[in-house]
Amino acid sequence: MMKEEKLSYYLNKAKIIEPNSNEKEIKIAILGSFTLNGLAEVLQVKCAELNTKLVSYVGKYNQYNQEILNSKSHLYQFNPDITFLLLDTRSILGDTYYFPYNASVSERKKIIDEKFLELEHLISYFKQTSKSKLIITNFNIPVYSPYGIYENKIEFNLKKMVMELNTKLEDIIQKENSTFLFDFDGFIRKFGEAHVFNYRQYFFGDIKVGIDYLPHLGHELMGYVKPVLGLSKKCIVVDLDNTLWGGVIGEDGFNGIKLGPYTQGRPFLELQKILLALNKRGIILAINSKNNYDDAIHVIREHPYMLIKEENFASTRINWEDKISNIQEIANELNIGLDSIVYLDDDPINRELMKASLPQILTVDLSRDPSEYGQCITDLNDFNLLQITEDDIKRSKMYNEEQQRKEFKKNIPDLENFLQKMNIKVLIKNGDNFTIPRISQLTLKTNQFNLTTKRYQEEEIKNMVNDKKFLVECAQVSDKFGDNGITGVCIVKKNDKEWNIDSFLLSCRIIGRGVEEGILGHILEQAKKEGVSKVVGQYIQTKKNEPCKDFYQKYGFEKDGEYWSFNLKNTIKIPNHLKMSVK
Amino acid sequence: MNKEKLFQIVSRIFDISESEINYNSSPETIEKWDSFNGYILLDEIENEFEVKFSLDEILEIKNIGDFKLLLEKQGISFIDGK
Repeated sequence: MMKEEKLSYYLNKAKIIEPNSNEKEIKIAILGSFTLNGLAEVLQVKCAELNTKLVSYVGKYNQYNQEILNSKSHLYQFNPDITFLLLDTRSILGDTYYFPYNASVSERKKIIDEKFLELEHLISYFKQTSKSKLIITNFNIPVYSPYGIYENKIEFNLKKMVMELNTKLEDIIQKENSTFLFDFDGFIRKFGEAHVFNYRQYFFGDIKVGIDYLPHLGHELMGYVKPVLGLSKKCIVVDLDNTLWGGVIGEDGFNGIKLGPYTQGRPFLELQKILLALNKRGIILAINSKNNYDDAIHVIREHPYMLIKEENFASTRINWEDKISNIQEIANELNIGLDSIVYLDDDPINRELMKASLPQILTVDLSRDPSEYGQCITDLNDFNLLQITEDDIKRSKMYNEEQQRKEFKKNIPDLENFLQKMNIKVLIKNGDNFTIPRISQLTLKTNQFNLTTKRYQEEEIKNMVNDKKFLVECAQVSDKFGDNGITGVCIVKKNDKEWNIDSFLLSCRIIGRGVEEGILGHILEQAKKEGVSKVVGQYIQTKKNEPCKDFYQKYGFEKDGEYWSFNLKNTIKIPNHLKMSVK
Repeated sequence: MNKEKLFQIVSRIFDISESEINYNSSPETIEKWDSFNGYILLDEIENEFEVKFSLDEILEIKNIGDFKLLLEKQGISFIDGK
């Protein structure tokens, strides 16, 4: 089972969090049909570990209906960013939980329909009243039945009733924006009802997730908090010997390493399956290994059970350099922040070194026993995204194309010439239903080329798109090697005299190709057309956005107090190697 | 010594010094002792002493001395020197 601290650890730790040491802040409301004391403290400590201050609101015990259905309630006054609504089957079904068959089949169906309507009403009232993301639980499927083994023969039995409710709930969650499901039934399956639910605690204080499991519950809920904070990991960097395969290639040789569908090779094959599935979802893979390049690449290219192929790795460092500089090079090459990297290495010394040198990287404490490697990865809650777009899924392919671009660049020394030959196309699109999720995602995730680093949830982008005072645009960039997808965003606040660039960002994988100047030029041209005299923008410095520090100045903006200002009487430049178009 | 062990747990859970604790300490004298923290204390005591109390027993607990009595009932000695 995964490692977690005890609840008392969190309760004590929560008391000694330095109030002002955190960079970010998040407001979380917790509502439930059962006692959830201690959960806020768990989340508080877990947020502090991410340099985030948690401000929490815990609803009164089992009063979630009153809180949600009253627009003046404390819940709405609190104005949360995230709201967790945690419900359990016992509370929602009442006596039906114990005596389901007092009701006929059709009555049982009616009971579920009614419960569903209540929930649907709660969700829609909440969505209308609050901007908060809503995370609602599904319901744990009961395991005990007075009918015992015969239960499964009964039409629309108790289990089926709860499953039906879960299915209906999932259906509305799939339709509703910014409403998400927490698989509470899955949580209970993962740890087992006999462990999570403790009768004495239930009778003592209506505790339905036992205090030993509250930290685990907190861990699962953090899976929703991290993407809201823009802290999702993008890349897994792996060691090779004793990590992707068993044994040491330099010593055991091609035929001696353990990898395959037999006992000792299976843990490694399993890990490769898990990593490859993440890769197919858009998580980038890279290698950082001390080895003779030829030995290692021979395994990757030729081993019959090497599931992850050479083309799945976006960056490869197989050499005798130190692993710290290797991983920094990988981050540079892929244009990603160190804090979006997860590092896997079987060697505890390498891991300690990595943690001490680059604490931003999530170095996984791989188990000593390779048979637990897979679980070490599946226990992570760091790859979650609230929105998985086409661009995410295509990402791995795009990084591969990026490799080809770099090879191409090596052969053409002159940058100007290189850019001309790249055949770069920039398609400007307006914010609409298709682009809003990606625009929001880019504002949440982009750190390096981001002039103001304003984070916007989908709902907020939608509001700006619908507001005539705002111009929300994004750019889809492609070149001779393939499509990079939507990789640039610009949000402008307009008034008659001047336009104010509220957000301007570019995904790191296309920095340095003049695209940023193309997008800015396009904005300036539009402003000119509408008869505005100047466009202003700001550079708000963060720890990470150094790469765009001089952007406005280089383009020809002039310093104007806190702002940079462009007089529209001046010439608007758009690099001539770009083919610009507007959709 | 079991008295010391018991008081150490109480001190850790309620974040107070051991010198402030005696057998008469109760929710009236320890500010942080609410029903939830009381349960956390109980859970820690059960784990540390490797015992289990019944629901009836835990609902009767009024002060630290009651924990001592319950532990003694399960064969844990509070006589000095042991």
